[in-house]
Amino acid sequence: MREGVVRSAGLTLTIVYAALIGWLFARQPATLAEVTGGLSSALGVYRVDEQAFADGVRYFRNEQFVEARAAFDRADPARRDAVTQFYVAYSFYRQGWGRLYSDDALFKAGLEAIDRAIALAPDGRVVVEQPDQKIRTADELRAELEMGLRRDASDFNPLRVFRERR
Amino acid sequence: MTAVREAIVLPSLFLTVILAGGLRPGAPLVLPPPSLLALILAALLVGALVQSGAFDPARLIHGRRTLLANANGSVLLASVFVAGAQVFSLLTPDSGAPRIVFGVYFLLLMLNTIAAGPDRVRMLRSLGVTFGAALILKFIVLDALSDPAGGRLARVLQLLFEGATLGAVTQGAQHPSAGYLALVTLALFLAAIWMLPARERGGALVVAGRS
Repeated sequence: MREGVVRSAGLTLTIVYAALIGWLFARQPATLAEVTGGLSSALGVYRVDEQAFADGVRYFRNEQFVEARAAFDRADPARRDAVTQFYVAYSFYRQGWGRLYSDDALFKAGLEAIDRAIALAPDGRVVVEQPDQKIRTADELRAELEMGLRRDASDFNPLRVFRERR
Repeated sequence: MTAVREAIVLPSLFLTVILAGGLRPGAPLVLPPPSLLALILAALLVGALVQSGAFDPARLIHGRRTLLANANGSVLLASVFVAGAQVFSLLTPDSGAPRIVFGVYFLLLMLNTIAAGPDRVRMLRSLGVTFGAALILKFIVLDALSDPAGGRLARVLQLLFEGATLGAVTQGAQHPSAGYLALVTLALFLAAIWMLPARERGGALVVAGRS
């Protein structure tokens, strides 16, 4: 009887441990915060720091994009919140946007962030309803970022200088 | 072998080796899965362990055991294999000529060990020497040759060495804790291998269809 209990407990423990290792290898978390955040998210107890998120949005509206991302990183250290990742991507877009050309490095970082946001959102749909915001969905933002990274004949159109940052 | 050792201690040790062996500390953390060569080497390692009697799978999976006991045995067998692959992966350099040289070195050593057919003690001793030597070569010798933070003279020598070898030997910089982690992982692996159920004295390996 006792041996059966030991064996059952051992098998359960091993399966849980192996599942954790499998999860780590599949998810490839880059930091310890992502490990703990991912685990707490899997258990449904992950929470975004509301104060840091509000700070991030305030910085974002003041066009302080580096500060905004620092605040968003504090708010969502495990990168598990779709809306925060949307704003991270949006800050990369706004910082990297230029009338003549866009900053590819920032746009690529933005694309990574928006892909994270889409992957995290239920059904991949991220909608941020803010009246003063020109981009409200992840799909629009992704399209803008992709357009900025694309090289084609429209890049040489002189009328590009009249386009607006969204 | 007790149920505690078979069902809890050994699988936990091997799973810890799998986790720690796959961990490349630094920023960002990287968890590379074992390469195909590492899996092949692990299969050879398990074969060598069975042949030497250091590991007797028949004591883990057997028709007369209960379903639960066989499940424990199967999990342990799988964890030995994957942990072996992770150890080979851990001790193999990440790139360049050393990666190929280490791969060939491990392959020849495993084949040679199987051909030599050592007993349990010699097998364990051989594994300790092989893995220990690889650890020293990768985490001390190669690391010193690839150290970007050395002094001016070291950097000049490194530059000359890189020129002479066309940059095929030097590796990416490793986190300072990588060597310590590898040492602990290797020690855990060797201890776990030593604790595996060995073939009992006077016992013979029974092959299906033969007496």
